[in-house]
Amino acid sequence: MDLSSFLLQQIINAVFLGSIYSLIALGYTMVYGIIELINFAHGELFTAGAFIGVIVLTALQQMGFVETHFVLTMIIVFVMSMSYVAVLGVAVEHVAYKPLRTSSRLSALLSALGMSIFLSNGMMLSQGVSDRAYPQVFGIEGIEFMGARITNGQIFIIILAVALMVGLQLFVHRTRLGKAMRATAQNKTMARILGIDIDQTIRITFMIGPALGAAAGVMVGLHYGAVRFDMGFIFMIKAFAAAILGGIGSIPGAMLGGLIIGTIEVMWAAFLPSAWKDVTTFTVLIMVLYFKPSGLLGEGTTEVRV
Amino acid sequence: MKKAGIIVLCLTLILGFQSMALAKTLKIGTLSPLTGPYAQDGTDILQGVKTAVAVYGALKGYDKVEVVPGDSACDGGKATMAANKLINSGVNVIIGAYCSSATEPAQIPIMDAGIVQITPASTNERLTAKGYKYFFRMPPRDDVQAWSTVQFLEKKLKAKTIALIDDKQTYTAGLTANIEKFAKEKNIVKVIAHEYITPGDSDFTAVLTKLKRINPDVIYMSVYQPEGSKMIQQARKLDMSSTFLSEDAVFHPKFLEVAGKNAEGVYLTFAKAPETPERDEFVQTYMKMWNAKAVGSYAYYAYDAGMMALAAIEKASTADADKLQQTIRDNTWTGVSGDISFDEHGDRKIAHIVWLVKDNKFVPFWDPITGKDL
Amino acid sequence: MIQKELKKLVVYGAFLVIILTPMLGFRSTTFEPGRVLKILGIFMTILVLNIVVKFIRSQKKDDGRKKTPWTEVVRKRINRYPKVYTLGGLLALAFAFPMFADNYMIDVGITCLIYVCLGLGLNIVVGLCGLLDLGYIAFYAVGAYTYSLLNLTFGLSFWAALPLGIVLGMVVGCIIGYPTLKMRGDYLAIVTLGFGEIVRLVLNNWDSLTAGPNGLFGMKRPALYYPSFGEDGFTWVTYYLKSLPSLYYFILLIAILTIIGVRRLDNSRIGRAWIAIREDEVAAELSGVPTTWIKLLAYALGAGFASVAGAFFAAKLSYTNPNFFLFMESCIVLCIVVLGGVGSIPGIVVAAFVLIAAPEVFRGLENFRMLAFGGIMTTMMILKPEGLIPASRRRRELRADQEPPPKD
Repeated sequence: MDLSSFLLQQIINAVFLGSIYSLIALGYTMVYGIIELINFAHGELFTAGAFIGVIVLTALQQMGFVETHFVLTMIIVFVMSMSYVAVLGVAVEHVAYKPLRTSSRLSALLSALGMSIFLSNGMMLSQGVSDRAYPQVFGIEGIEFMGARITNGQIFIIILAVALMVGLQLFVHRTRLGKAMRATAQNKTMARILGIDIDQTIRITFMIGPALGAAAGVMVGLHYGAVRFDMGFIFMIKAFAAAILGGIGSIPGAMLGGLIIGTIEVMWAAFLPSAWKDVTTFTVLIMVLYFKPSGLLGEGTTEVRV
Repeated sequence: MKKAGIIVLCLTLILGFQSMALAKTLKIGTLSPLTGPYAQDGTDILQGVKTAVAVYGALKGYDKVEVVPGDSACDGGKATMAANKLINSGVNVIIGAYCSSATEPAQIPIMDAGIVQITPASTNERLTAKGYKYFFRMPPRDDVQAWSTVQFLEKKLKAKTIALIDDKQTYTAGLTANIEKFAKEKNIVKVIAHEYITPGDSDFTAVLTKLKRINPDVIYMSVYQPEGSKMIQQARKLDMSSTFLSEDAVFHPKFLEVAGKNAEGVYLTFAKAPETPERDEFVQTYMKMWNAKAVGSYAYYAYDAGMMALAAIEKASTADADKLQQTIRDNTWTGVSGDISFDEHGDRKIAHIVWLVKDNKFVPFWDPITGKDL
Repeated sequence: MIQKELKKLVVYGAFLVIILTPMLGFRSTTFEPGRVLKILGIFMTILVLNIVVKFIRSQKKDDGRKKTPWTEVVRKRINRYPKVYTLGGLLALAFAFPMFADNYMIDVGITCLIYVCLGLGLNIVVGLCGLLDLGYIAFYAVGAYTYSLLNLTFGLSFWAALPLGIVLGMVVGCIIGYPTLKMRGDYLAIVTLGFGEIVRLVLNNWDSLTAGPNGLFGMKRPALYYPSFGEDGFTWVTYYLKSLPSLYYFILLIAILTIIGVRRLDNSRIGRAWIAIREDEVAAELSGVPTTWIKLLAYALGAGFASVAGAFFAAKLSYTNPNFFLFMESCIVLCIVVLGGVGSIPGIVVAAFVLIAAPEVFRGLENFRMLAFGGIMTTMMILKPEGLIPASRRRRELRADQEPPPKD
């Protein structure tokens, strides 16, 4: 393997990992944009999506559906998992965040953290402590070029991730609901005066954000082959770093941030001592927050204390 | 409501006193992580011991044998608490713990209390190097496993270069450190890279691509099963040509289940599985008793530890720790993981053999002591 | 009203069915309806009971009598006696505890007291100063490792290493605190979480210093020195605190000192400055509070208390390992502070005992412990954000202005 194909392979690795981080980061950024709260439970919603994915996919595989209708299977799996997590997201919002919308930030944050611990342990109790294996529908076949390799599954996942992100961007900018969301994010009082149903908008945000996370969860399961109740934590931290790096509240920022965090992680492990990979991610996060708290693409948020 | 409560109270009291007055119970304590990420292995251990008690049946001199579970949670503080609880409940033997980092602190109160402790899983060398006379260990030490690995690399695979991957936990890092030491001493196999991953992570492609570029003969995965099964899949997806070798923490039915056909051709070091009728019987009983699809790796050791403890108590006809440890030391016991005898440190005279994944099954492949194929 | 509640019940029920069915029903590949129905039944019973309670309450509302909550009743009962008696009684109980408890109970007691120290330390940062810290356990790790390393490499005794540990903990506290000074609550949470992980990863990766994941072993226990006049004249005799009761008394002493220290700080000028910052940083700054220094001081002092607890923890186990300092531990300490009542010393002491001892007592619930943690945290924030035993000052604040806090 010469240097150029090595680099290319690492770039593929980075883009793949980065696009998953981006999808998860979108959930954070959307929720934060609208109610200015870190949704700590997002990592668990992502895991829940992965679990629904494995449940549906296994059931379909047992029926022998996967071989005959591959595309349909994928659509069913993704739609089921995303809609389930959308429902779960709304429930979490209703139980844990809505009653605290007017209280102090500390309480809301602690409530979110509590929800995260609750969900992750709930999944542990209901789905067991060990891995659940994903049916390997993609296999290891792939394309090889210039000495680098990308599998069919990876291509599918990257395309799907990009499609979801483009769809989100269109939704936010072209539709009425999307515009309502942006208006709410900018100024809640003003939006209310203009006749936007704030509760409704927040609920929709809590459907879309976690649903994207669920899609990422299914992708992780499909590619890495297993899900476990506690896998949300590491993805949560990385995706959160991505959201902040891109500028929290900014949707293109989250996409860019995800790619950058993925690249930093992969390239650090590729060229420098891999033991310090995570230290680097955290350090980058802290540096960004210190030097440019608004992130790369964020609008210069003012330091308002709530 | 109140009446019902009083009746229940009376009943429990009566039953409680009855059992106290009549039965002479032997208590076996277990210490294993029943919560947290290693709860699967911890439960295997508890179930293994319980199976042993059920299979052994009546013990001479005792009316009842009771298993007292303790949760070490793979955490030093919790493990000492659980150990103290077991000591207070008057256990005669303790089987546990799982993580070396929990066994090490828990050893202190147990040894001070003078109770025989048999670990079915902890392999750190330091545990038996302190001169505790009541401490025994069922699996081979880290350095023994590392020695077997290096033997296998030199004699069987005839490898020239090896790359190590570990996830920087007590057990995994201990293994790679030992392999590096032995490889350096013998100077036949060269360690050309040592990479690290984060436990709980999913994506290891960066590190694997790095190793694909160096292209060592063998890549040694010193990780636990969740990471191991993900790593081997990614290695196959990267189309790596190196041979993969791993250790007993990956040797788990889940590894085959998750990695599927990607696991083909992976070598693993793990304990011998002697083909004795007792072993088959144990597997059958265990699966029936716990409604399990497969027997967890540490259940064998836990079962053996339980059976040996009970047999030794019967032979010594006392549960007194001094006599019991002498009896355990002086005799050779048969178990489902092979014959059991201990050296002066309390380490078992045993070495791992090398297994190969073939047709989605673990098959014995090579014995490092005899140097012969199996 | 009934109709509205019933409609709610149906909606919630539908949500619960959707959420619980796949997660509980498909543990393996086959569907098991039994588990779903069981858990669903529990949840639905709770919802129905909730409605019944609400209904009964709405019927009773006409009494016009305001019921005092039970915490108030308890408080009044306790306050009837002079404080000296209550405190003295509690102290006597704490001192007498090892005489009737077995080793296991003492060990649980020691762990509880360690968490009391940690909770009180975190209380300075979160409760008094209002800075959310999710990486607090890092200071505990610093304390543990400082003592371990100093004892193992230089043979320093516990007493000599303790001040060094405190100083190092405070320095690390300032290092972590400094970049976060400008940040707002939620950014702060993430940065401290990141720092906590960095500290653990550094301890795990720096093999040459900390022995990495192997952990450090063989630290001496804390010792007492007393003079002895033997045949060869005057000598100092070293008595290592090896038995659990002696360790218990030792940590009890530390905990009492911590309580006194935090209480004195709370009532001091600095404490008032912290609370001013918590309530309104800009106003505090304008009133002449040097916010930068005061916030750094909060971090440093909080870290100092944690590193004392850490040093004791390492000495007690005579073993440390980076895996003892996971993010979950920070969460548990935070949960203690929140449950007990942010800023309330008796609340934190009670909460530490409840959270640490309760799962030990109800061993069968061990698996549900973290689930309950999470549930309690969210429920507390929604229903009773001031905690089990609210801080007296906080209570007075809440009483003084009954109007809700300003929005946005």
